[in-house]
Amino acid sequence: MKVRRRAGVLRVEISDIEAALLGGLLDDFADALAAPDPDDPVTQRLYPAGYTDDPEAAREYRELVESDLRAERIGRLRACRAELPVDGGRMLVDDEAIDRWLRVLNDLRLALGTRLGVTEDSELDDSQPAVQVYSWLTAVQDLLVMQLMP
Amino acid sequence: MSTPTVAPLREAVAEQQPDETVEADRPWVTVVWNDPVNLMSYVTHVLMKVFGYPEDKATALMLDVHHKGRAVVSSGPRERMEGDTATLHGYGLWATVQHDS
Repeated sequence: MKVRRRAGVLRVEISDIEAALLGGLLDDFADALAAPDPDDPVTQRLYPAGYTDDPEAAREYRELVESDLRAERIGRLRACRAELPVDGGRMLVDDEAIDRWLRVLNDLRLALGTRLGVTEDSELDDSQPAVQVYSWLTAVQDLLVMQLMP
Repeated sequence: MSTPTVAPLREAVAEQQPDETVEADRPWVTVVWNDPVNLMSYVTHVLMKVFGYPEDKATALMLDVHHKGRAVVSSGPRERMEGDTATLHGYGLWATVQHDS
């Protein structure tokens, strides 16, 4: 993936292999978001408790925000999926869209990182395909966020 | 949410238990907790975007999260802290609403 910024718009060149990988990840994640399992650590990480010291307030907070958070996540994911060139190629992304992509990439990394059991001190085994995907998503997210720094 | 009951309760309690009044007057805060997945650059971006903080302030808060394990990123009325926490959850940050201590 290559990224260049011109006149406030990011030009992202993505290869066919990268586009296929990312598209597959987005589709799988869309399915997972649509049918969340409350006992799944990934669901718990994506929808954390708003209060850690007050179970009643935590329950009220969850009732108030969780369905909106889920709908917004799904909306961002669909918008990114629609922008992704199916066979690779160029994407033009403005600042708002970069913010949306960053959030979707972060959600993917949270989900994958939770599955992999990533901790502050964990050494990831690069021979695992899932670790390679996670590292690639990390590199892409960092590349994009750096474009937004003044 | 239960915010509207806080003020009247406080007045009622104040007559009998002055110490409780001090408890109720503590401000509400939004706390961001350290997380092994979120990138330092991304957390800085989110704090700039969500709160409009300049880069140096956002970076300092991000470093507090990273090194101290947590940082207070906003303070104010409880409902606004819940809104800030929800916005941060939408960005995938690990945030909670708390009474400042």
